[in-house]
Amino acid sequence: MTEIAESFTNQTIISDELPQLENLEFATLSQRYAPTHRLVTLLTTVILMLVLTAIIYQPFAPLPSEAVTVFEFILWLVGGIGLIATLYNSFADPKKRYALREQDISYQSGLIFRKTVSQPILRVQHVELKRGPVERKVGLASLQVFSAGGSLHTFEIPGLNIDDAEHIRQFILAHKDINQHG
Amino acid sequence: MDKSPVIERQNSTEQVPDISTPEENNHSHKWQRISPIALIYFVLMLIKNIFGNIVYLAPAILIGYNKFSEDPTFWLPFVYGFAGLIALSAILSFYFFQYRLSNQQIEIRSGVFSKKYTNLPFSRIQNVELSEPLYYRPFGYTCMQLDTAGSVKQEAKVVALKKHFAEQLKHEILAAHQQPVSTDENNETDDDSVTAKVTTADEEVLDRRNLDDLVIHGLTNNRVWIFIGGLAPFIDNISEKVGEWLLMFGFNVEQYFAFDGKSGWQIATAALSLALLVMIPITIFSILGSIIAFHDFKLSKVGDRYIRRSGLFTKNEVTMRLSRLQMIVRQQDWLDVLLGRINLKFEQSNANYQQAQPGQLTNKIIVPSVTTKECQHLINDAYPENNLENIQYSPVSVRLFVRNVLLLLLPFTAFISALFIIKDKTDSLIFVAAAASFICFLMYMSYRRWGYAKDDNFIYVRKGCLGVDYYCFPIYKVQQTTFKQSWFLKRKQLCSVQFLLAAGAVNVPYVKQEDGLKLIDESLYEVEHSKRNWM
Repeated sequence: MTEIAESFTNQTIISDELPQLENLEFATLSQRYAPTHRLVTLLTTVILMLVLTAIIYQPFAPLPSEAVTVFEFILWLVGGIGLIATLYNSFADPKKRYALREQDISYQSGLIFRKTVSQPILRVQHVELKRGPVERKVGLASLQVFSAGGSLHTFEIPGLNIDDAEHIRQFILAHKDINQHG
Repeated sequence: MDKSPVIERQNSTEQVPDISTPEENNHSHKWQRISPIALIYFVLMLIKNIFGNIVYLAPAILIGYNKFSEDPTFWLPFVYGFAGLIALSAILSFYFFQYRLSNQQIEIRSGVFSKKYTNLPFSRIQNVELSEPLYYRPFGYTCMQLDTAGSVKQEAKVVALKKHFAEQLKHEILAAHQQPVSTDENNETDDDSVTAKVTTADEEVLDRRNLDDLVIHGLTNNRVWIFIGGLAPFIDNISEKVGEWLLMFGFNVEQYFAFDGKSGWQIATAALSLALLVMIPITIFSILGSIIAFHDFKLSKVGDRYIRRSGLFTKNEVTMRLSRLQMIVRQQDWLDVLLGRINLKFEQSNANYQQAQPGQLTNKIIVPSVTTKECQHLINDAYPENNLENIQYSPVSVRLFVRNVLLLLLPFTAFISALFIIKDKTDSLIFVAAAASFICFLMYMSYRRWGYAKDDNFIYVRKGCLGVDYYCFPIYKVQQTTFKQSWFLKRKQLCSVQFLLAAGAVNVPYVKQEDGLKLIDESLYEVEHSKRNWM
C-alpha cells in the first residue's frame, strides 16, 4: 500500500513546480572580502584627507581664508562620509551573497534596501574577471557578467575567491545555451 | 555556417532585391570610393564637430573676436587658412574613405591619420538606417548607417551611396538576416512565411501621418529640441534680434521686469502674459519641430520588417525586423488624454545608443499622435496575441502613495511653512497649502496609475500621472530581473520588481511579495525554458 502511494505523484504544474527565488541556496563571498573592503575604504578616506590637509596647510602658496574654510568643510565631509561608508560596509558586506543555479546566477546585496539580481545565463553576452592591485594581492576577483541590458545594469559579484570566480566563469562559458542564443 | 546557400536561396526565391546584376556585382568586389557629394557631408560634419565643442572653444573665440575686430585685414589670412584646412581635411577624409562589398559582408576603410578598418558580416547587422540630408536629395544620394547589436560597440556609416543602390544593398543585408541564428522551430516557420510574403507582396503601408496629426503632436509633445539642437550656435544672435524686434513694437523688456510700485494683480497679469509670451513661441517651435521630424511620416511593413520614413529636411528611414522589437510603449500625456491621441513607440535594443543625444529619434520607431483605434491596430499587427486593451491591471499597494506623502511631501511642506511663519508672512501659507494639496493630488493620481498584469506571453505595466503610459513586452525578452525590498517593505510583505530588457528597465514598485516573487520566477522560467533568442 505504501509503495503505491510513494510512486504516485500528482504535483500541480507551473507555479508550485517552478524553481523559486525564495528557496535559492546562497553562498557567501570570500572571508577576506569584508576586511579588505573595509581597509580599502578606510585607507582611501585617510589618503584623501591627508591630501586635503596638505593642500590647506602647505606653506608655499597660502590659501585665502575663505578657501581654507571651504577646504576644511570638505575635509570633514570626506572624513564623515568615509567613516559612514566604512561602518555601512562592515554591516553590509557579510550580507552579500550569490547563488548559482543551472540556468541563472543571482546576487543579493544591501543592508536596508535589499535586492536580488538574477541573470539568466542564456542572456549573457560576455564574462569578465576584474582584479585590481589589492584584489590580486589578497587573491580575490570580481566577476562581471554583461547582458544586452546595457552597461548600467552590468551584473557584478565582488570579492570572490579567484578559484571560485574562475569556476563560475568557466561554468557560464561552458553553458550550452550561451553559444547558440547569445 | 557557410554562406553559399544563403546567396543561392536569395537568388532563387527573392525577386525584390535583385542586386546581383552582373556589372554591379563585379563592381562591388573591388575597393571603391563613395560619391564626391560626400565632400559636403564631411565639411558639415567637421563644422558640426567644431561647434559641438564650442563650450571649450568659447574663451578662445571670445578673445579671437576682439582681436579680429581690432584688425580684420591682419586676421583674414588665418580665416582663409582655417577654411582651407577644413576643405583639405574633408577632401582627405573623402579620399581615404573606401568600402568594399564581398560575399555577404561589408568592409570599410576610413580615417586620415588614425586608420580605421571595419568589417561587418551582413548577418551581424541589426538594423539599417537610411537618411537623406537636404543637400543629397537633388542628386539622389543617401547615407547608410549600419548598426550591430552586442556588447562590442561597432557600427559603420557609408556616407554617400546612390539611393537606388542603397535600397538594393539594404534588401540584401536584411535578407541575410533571415537565415542566421534561428535555431528554434518557431522562427523557421516564421521565416518561410516571410520569404513567401516578400515574393508576392510589396510594402504594406500601416500608417501615415498628416499635417494635422503633426500639429497635434507638436502641441502635446515638446519637440522644441529639434529646433534648439539646430540653432544652438546662433542662440545669442537670435535673442539679440528678438530683443530689438520687441523694442520696435515699443515693448521694453527691462521695464517689464521692474516690479517696484506695482500692485499684486499687476504683477500677476505680468507673470501670466509673460508665461503666455514664452509658451506661444515654444508651442510654435514645438509644432515646427514635430513637422521637421515627422513630415511625410510613413510606417510600412515588408514581410517581418517595419520601415519608418519621415523628415522634412533630412529624410530618415529606419528599418527594423519584428524579432528585434523588445518592447511596445504606448504614451499619453495629459493633453493627449484630452485629445485622444497616443504616441506609440516600438523600442529595440539601445545598447549602442548610450551616447546618443536625448532627443534623437534614430533607432526608435515612434508613431506620433495616433488615435486609439489605429494604435491598437498597430500593436495587434506586431504582437497579435497581446491583450493590452482588455487585460485587468493589478494595482500596487497604497503604501506607495503614503510613502511619497510622508517622505517627500510632508517634510518639504513643513520646511516651507516654517520659513513663512518665521518671516511672519502667514497669509502666504494659503499658497503653500494649495501647492501641497495639488502635489498630493498628483501623487495620488500617480499611485492610481501604477498597475501591472501578466498573461501567457507578455507582461504589461501601466504608469503615469495625469497622462498614462503602457509598457508591454514579451516575457522571453527579459535580460535580467531584480527583486528589491527594504526593511519596511519586508515587514509589510511588499516588494519592488525590475525587469531589464535590451530596450531599458521596467519597474513595478510596491507589489505583494508573493506576487513579485511569482512574477520573477515565472519570467526566469519562461526565459530559460523557452530558450528563445531575444534578437
